[in-house]
Amino acid sequence: MELNRYLPNHIFPLTNPHCKNLSIQHYHLPTQQPQFTAIQTSLTQNLANLLSTKIMERKNFLRSLLIGAASTPAILNACKKSSVIDDSVGVTTTPTGGSSTSSCVVAPTETEGPFPTKSPASYVRSDITDGRSGYKLTAKIVIGNSNNGCAALAGAIVDIWHCDAEGNYSEYGNTSMQSTNYQSVHFLRGRQTTDSNGLVTFTSIFPGWYSGRATHIHVHVYNAAGTSLKVTQIAFPEGSGSAVALVNGYSKGMSGYTYNKNDNVFSDDTTGIQIATVSGSTSAGFVLNIQLSVPA
Amino acid sequence: MTAKKIITLRYRKIIGINNNNAWDKLVFTDSYKEFKMQSQLYNQEKKYHTFGELIHFSPGAEKLHFLVGGAITNYLKQLGEVIPDITNNLGLHFLKFKHFRFELINSDLQDIEKHLVALNFYSEDLYFLEQIGPYLLTSKVDAAPLKEGEEEFTDLFIIPPYLTIHSIK
Repeated sequence: MELNRYLPNHIFPLTNPHCKNLSIQHYHLPTQQPQFTAIQTSLTQNLANLLSTKIMERKNFLRSLLIGAASTPAILNACKKSSVIDDSVGVTTTPTGGSSTSSCVVAPTETEGPFPTKSPASYVRSDITDGRSGYKLTAKIVIGNSNNGCAALAGAIVDIWHCDAEGNYSEYGNTSMQSTNYQSVHFLRGRQTTDSNGLVTFTSIFPGWYSGRATHIHVHVYNAAGTSLKVTQIAFPEGSGSAVALVNGYSKGMSGYTYNKNDNVFSDDTTGIQIATVSGSTSAGFVLNIQLSVPA
Repeated sequence: MTAKKIITLRYRKIIGINNNNAWDKLVFTDSYKEFKMQSQLYNQEKKYHTFGELIHFSPGAEKLHFLVGGAITNYLKQLGEVIPDITNNLGLHFLKFKHFRFELINSDLQDIEKHLVALNFYSEDLYFLEQIGPYLLTSKVDAAPLKEGEEEFTDLFIIPPYLTIHSIK
């Protein structure tokens, strides 16, 4: 057993907010190494002490009700009063400002502040590198309106996202119960609004690759109101001298790489409209250009 | 001196339509707007309107917790690493955080009142010193160890609903 590992715990009130009957049926101490057992013993002992006090209080309370011939509705009403949960939305209904808790705690007593200001989503930035290492890539994407002769579409919102040099996306490890440092959690994801030429520019790193897919960048185009216009992906040119060949899969190499013709997203793109123009070198960085037309 | 236990606390701050303070309202409105945008990726046929339906029927929609969270991390920065709402017995905010997890609880593309989110704040390490009645007594885990006879500054507080001891070592 690794003693330095965090052990998850649960702490809970003895009076269930929903007033369902709650009791200790049994408890036992786990049979682990001595140090670990010591931790558990003292915690469990604290809890047990607390429980025994509360249980006695509750017993006395119930006994007094029986002696006083209190009716069942009285108990139910007492339950209702102690409830802190509004079942309809699951939020506390205490009418106090500041804290969303309702137990008897000291209210915040401090100088006012900080003062919140309206802030854009963390995605809104041109440089989406967030400290990820790799060869620099400048992506210039022009959005055209396919309902208007592919004329430049100004004011469209463009989201892009792609994997890092090792082939990992920022969302990996974030779908479970894990917590993350909020400073860098959404790496290699960005959002820009097209200018009068329909252009957005992102600074990033050349994407790595992962099993089953050719190198690609995801794109989601919205109109200015945030309504989805197109979800698509950008493919990369291949072959001798191409950026894909120069980057050579970073430390992974190209063994097992899926090329565009075998990629389940790009294989039907026989005319290559999803393939960007990419120039540059590993030392100077790469520049990607593509025009995407969406129905606006 | 015996080895002190180190704990972290987790505060699950629930934000819904009825939260009144300015920060909560910004988180509420911006996360709803982001949900409306990002959910379209998992709803291209526009068949669903609640988060519950998307999670249940649309593969990959659980990523929306992470994706929508990107709309509010700039508000976390405005907190200056201080966990909101939770105070010690002096009425002072005393918990610091660097880690968080954003959760969509419920939402509805047709009804903003159904939008309900949780921000999970995970505190930095604390020494758990004692339990005194309903109070916990903790101290901050500092880089510099105490010298002989030196005082250790402590915080005394009650664990209210939505705050828990998240981990112990």
